[in-house]
Amino acid sequence: MSDQAAVGKVTSQTAQKGVLAKLIIFSLSLGIVPIALYFVTEKYVWDGNSSYAAITAVFAANVVLFAYIIVSLLDDREMMQSAEEKKLQFSNRRKVE
Amino acid sequence: MSTCPPYAPFFGFAGVASSMIFSTVGAAYGTSKAGIGIAGLGSFKPELIMRSLIPVVMSGIIAVYGLVVSVLISGGVKANDYTLAAGFIHLGAGLACGMTGVSAGYAIGLVGDSCVRAFVHESRVFVTMVLVLIFAEVLGLYGLIVALIMNTKALETKC
Repeated sequence: MSDQAAVGKVTSQTAQKGVLAKLIIFSLSLGIVPIALYFVTEKYVWDGNSSYAAITAVFAANVVLFAYIIVSLLDDREMMQSAEEKKLQFSNRRKVE
Repeated sequence: MSTCPPYAPFFGFAGVASSMIFSTVGAAYGTSKAGIGIAGLGSFKPELIMRSLIPVVMSGIIAVYGLVVSVLISGGVKANDYTLAAGFIHLGAGLACGMTGVSAGYAIGLVGDSCVRAFVHESRVFVTMVLVLIFAEVLGLYGLIVALIMNTKALETKC
């Protein structure tokens, strides 16, 4: 029972590295990037055509969403690999004992 | 009866407000309902939290749609020389984006809650969850497209 609990702790610790920083970055970018892009592209890229600027802002918001999905998938894949490695090390240590 | 009465900006600004207000109501429902499910999942499997926050991010995007339409419409509402027709058009555009935001946020909340709870037991639910959530979010996108089309009509009106 104790080695199961230790493996659980190892898994939870590997999950927490840098997760908070990533979440803060994504929250801020979801709030700031679309509306900033709206104003910037309306002035400099589309010559005052606000519909195209709105479409650009929506596109940017969806890009942030897909980036978040991809980052969360990669994060979980690398976390599961490192958790399995640590489980292997742990069970090898138990065998030696 | 002039085409530019002084009470016309009332409808224009009502459109700006309703776009922001209703899409935020939808996003709040989606965030809170999915957040309840994530709190339930987090007590069993904290390593799945990063993936299960996707419904919350999608609810945030619904609010961003409402914000973009509000900013877009408020760029066209003027205090003087503002036709009543443009006021009605802006009101319709704001309501279109806002109420579709309510429906999208409602769908995202319910789907996010149930799928995140099922994710504890079966990890293959993840792909299904993302697909259903994308369909739910596209509802808000349709409202934004209609609001954009309506707004271009309002640019052509003159006193």
